[in-house]
Amino acid sequence: MNAASAPLVYLVDDEDVVRDALAWLLRSRRLLAQGCASAEAFEALLDALPAGVDWPRAPACLLLDVRMPGTSGLVLFERLVERGLTQRLPVIFLTGHGDVPMAVAAVKRGAFDFVEKPFAGNALVDRIEQALAASAQAIAARAEWRRVADALAELTERERAVLRLIVAGRPNKLIADALDISVRTVEVHRARIFDKMGVKSAVELANRLREHQAAPGSGAR
Amino acid sequence: MATVAAAAASARTRRLLPWALLLALLLVAQSMLVALSLHHEHARAQEEADAAAAEAAAALRAELLRSVQSLQSLLWNEPSAQAWRADAAELLRARRDLLRLERRDAALTPTLALDTPLGEPLFVALPRAQLMVDTEVACRAAQRSAAPHFSRSYFVPMQGGLGIEVIDLCLPIAGEGRDRYMVATLALAGVLERALGPAALRHEYSLVEGDGTRLARTGAQRGAGVFRGEQLIALPGTLLQLRADAVEGRPRLIPNLTLALVVGLSVALFALVLLLARDVRRRARAETALAEALAFRKAMEDSLSTGLRARDLAGRITYVNPAFCQMVGFGADELRAAAQPPYWPPEHAAQYARRQQARLDSLREDGPAREGFETVFMRKSGERFPVMIYEAPLVDGGGRHTGWMSAVLDMGAQRRVEELSRQQQERLQIAARLAAVGEMASLLGHELNQPLSAIASYAHGSLNLLEQPDAQTPALLGEALARIAEQAERAGRVIKSVHDYVRRREQAHEPVRADLLLEAVQPLVQLQARKSGTRIELRCPQPPPRVRCDRTMVEQVLLNLTRNAIQAMEHDTPPERRLLQISVLPPQQRRVGFVVADAGAGIADEVRQQLFTPFFTTRSEGMGLGLSLCRSVVEQHGGTLVLETLSAADGGGTTVRFTLPHADGGEPAAPAAPADAATLADAAAPATRRG
Repeated sequence: MNAASAPLVYLVDDEDVVRDALAWLLRSRRLLAQGCASAEAFEALLDALPAGVDWPRAPACLLLDVRMPGTSGLVLFERLVERGLTQRLPVIFLTGHGDVPMAVAAVKRGAFDFVEKPFAGNALVDRIEQALAASAQAIAARAEWRRVADALAELTERERAVLRLIVAGRPNKLIADALDISVRTVEVHRARIFDKMGVKSAVELANRLREHQAAPGSGAR
Repeated sequence: MATVAAAAASARTRRLLPWALLLALLLVAQSMLVALSLHHEHARAQEEADAAAAEAAAALRAELLRSVQSLQSLLWNEPSAQAWRADAAELLRARRDLLRLERRDAALTPTLALDTPLGEPLFVALPRAQLMVDTEVACRAAQRSAAPHFSRSYFVPMQGGLGIEVIDLCLPIAGEGRDRYMVATLALAGVLERALGPAALRHEYSLVEGDGTRLARTGAQRGAGVFRGEQLIALPGTLLQLRADAVEGRPRLIPNLTLALVVGLSVALFALVLLLARDVRRRARAETALAEALAFRKAMEDSLSTGLRARDLAGRITYVNPAFCQMVGFGADELRAAAQPPYWPPEHAAQYARRQQARLDSLREDGPAREGFETVFMRKSGERFPVMIYEAPLVDGGGRHTGWMSAVLDMGAQRRVEELSRQQQERLQIAARLAAVGEMASLLGHELNQPLSAIASYAHGSLNLLEQPDAQTPALLGEALARIAEQAERAGRVIKSVHDYVRRREQAHEPVRADLLLEAVQPLVQLQARKSGTRIELRCPQPPPRVRCDRTMVEQVLLNLTRNAIQAMEHDTPPERRLLQISVLPPQQRRVGFVVADAGAGIADEVRQQLFTPFFTTRSEGMGLGLSLCRSVVEQHGGTLVLETLSAADGGGTTVRFTLPHADGGEPAAPAAPADAATLADAAAPATRRG
């Protein structure tokens, strides 16, 4: 497990003590943590990432304090939702007194969970581990989606037309009629599509495309 | 001034001039009318006379010619003397105007003469021979012309001094006989009578000579001699002048004046009718304008939300507007019929009557009061409400003072608004206070959360490390424990700061005069009391004792207690029994007692058990913090708060007593012993029962 693939927990809290204590706790459970003193700092970190690359590569999650000077945790969360990161970077809110309704609303908007301060240490770490697992799953799904998208991008215009008809369940004969080409040509296209998409049957192809289309939101970046 | 007078005079002249002109014109027209009608009548009468004369002349000539013919008929066929005689006698009998017939020879000597048998014979007084001249002339002329010829008329005296005017007609007799002439003597009067007959009544007809001598007359008895028509009748041989003299005299002025008067009156009447019509039109216009003005005023009165009330000098209501009726809930007729205003609350009626009398007297002397006064009226439903009244004397068209007009403003609505805004304010204050408390709790929570979270994290981490200890574990644990200790200290500091805050608050206590405390809350209490018609009695010993307290907090306690008291009497207590007593007791044992007593229904036992529990309330709007807060405040000041319900025998109601440290009595004793409170309660009891 190298540094790039090791799970990482981001801590965003304005209290140094809390960040330090949490990092200490996580280290005792063999988890790496990276702290940010404010939402702005974390966003700067995100903006520094190279464009066009899916991030995070390794499972990660974010412990986010609701009440902070400057940009609040909720605002940061909204920005993450906009970036489509909340699947691969599950967010766990740390809430103080009176912030619970806000946190509940955030969970409804897609946050992974919220934990009220003062929190019970190991229970929180258990929850973090679950979040990391979810993150890993989301990252894998994202990779798959990216692969299908790339394969689709590689198809020629004609192949894409054939693909649409295959997915619609038309036999080769009808496809040839519809596109006004020979059955033989259709078969060639079909073989090439299957090859490019890495599938062995029309059913497999249809499934893959359906999955791909079912998760369009995760591909914003 | 002179020019003004002159201008007024000239204005009057200008106004009168048309009338004068009109009158003059009318007079001229009337005179002309009279003159014209007189002239017309004159001309008509003259014409009539002329016509009558001409007609009569024609008739006379015809008659004479007929006579000539009938006389000629005597001579037809040359009758013998005998025959002529018989015929002539018959003719004489038949004709009254024919007086004598003669036959004469060539020498004009009468050969035969016959006198009328109807009267005296002519020529008795004077022989015929002496009266022959005219006859002879006529005969000669007849001879010459061989035609009948009349002689001039002449007078034949008769016996008795009278006479008769006659005319002779000479007819030449043709043939071989001895007699050459026949002479007929006609009485002019007879001829005239025969010609004109008895019909001629309107005129007197006469035959006259050139010099005016009347020869014969007939017709009306006597002409007036004003309108005369004359006609000449030319006969062979003679000329007769006929005169018709109208009976009617000069046209009289009076009938014409009457006519003029009638015409004038008619004109005047017509003018009057015109004037009347104009007047009626103007009156109708004025009435319409008046009706419109009335409608306008009525609409104005009806639209007013201010009540209007007019009263006569005796204080009886003579007029009310709809707004007033609506305000008090009585109909206008009810109000007018009532001897005493039915909207006076019965418990205040006597006082109001006195006050009204005094006020009316003062108004009469000093004129209308600019400022209104405030009082309480009762609606028909029995509900009391405050009103503001402005009064002014009512003066009629003749300048007599007939009563009073008042504008009545319902202050209930305003009070309700005030009350509402006050409640709103209170609620806001409470909310703000709660928010402050919440904010503080939140802050405290946040402050404590951080160290506690950190402590928990370090502790759990340490436990994790202990599960699989290695060489580094002790060092790591030491680090963690140090952090834990640090965070625990931090939490301790937070809690200490809260203590400091509370201590600072306690140092705000200051000596305050008890009566000033009461005065400070009085306006707010009165506002509430007025709504339910509760009377307030304040009692404070002299000189007022001073208490050491946090002024704002104690005022809040007083407000809470008085509000409870007023609300306790709001529903079940009859209005006249609604009395709120607030008393300050003389200082005893370095404490000053305060008593708030109401006359409400008291507090049920089961409620009593929970009274001081925070957040317990019997009211829908209540927070349930009132009494428990009051007690906390009083106890914070080192005092006690007790609550008791009086039995019905003692008048009922609830009495709340609390004590505060006496400022002039040295340091107050720390939390009061129960025995202390009991003594105070006993001391306060007589004071409360007094009311």
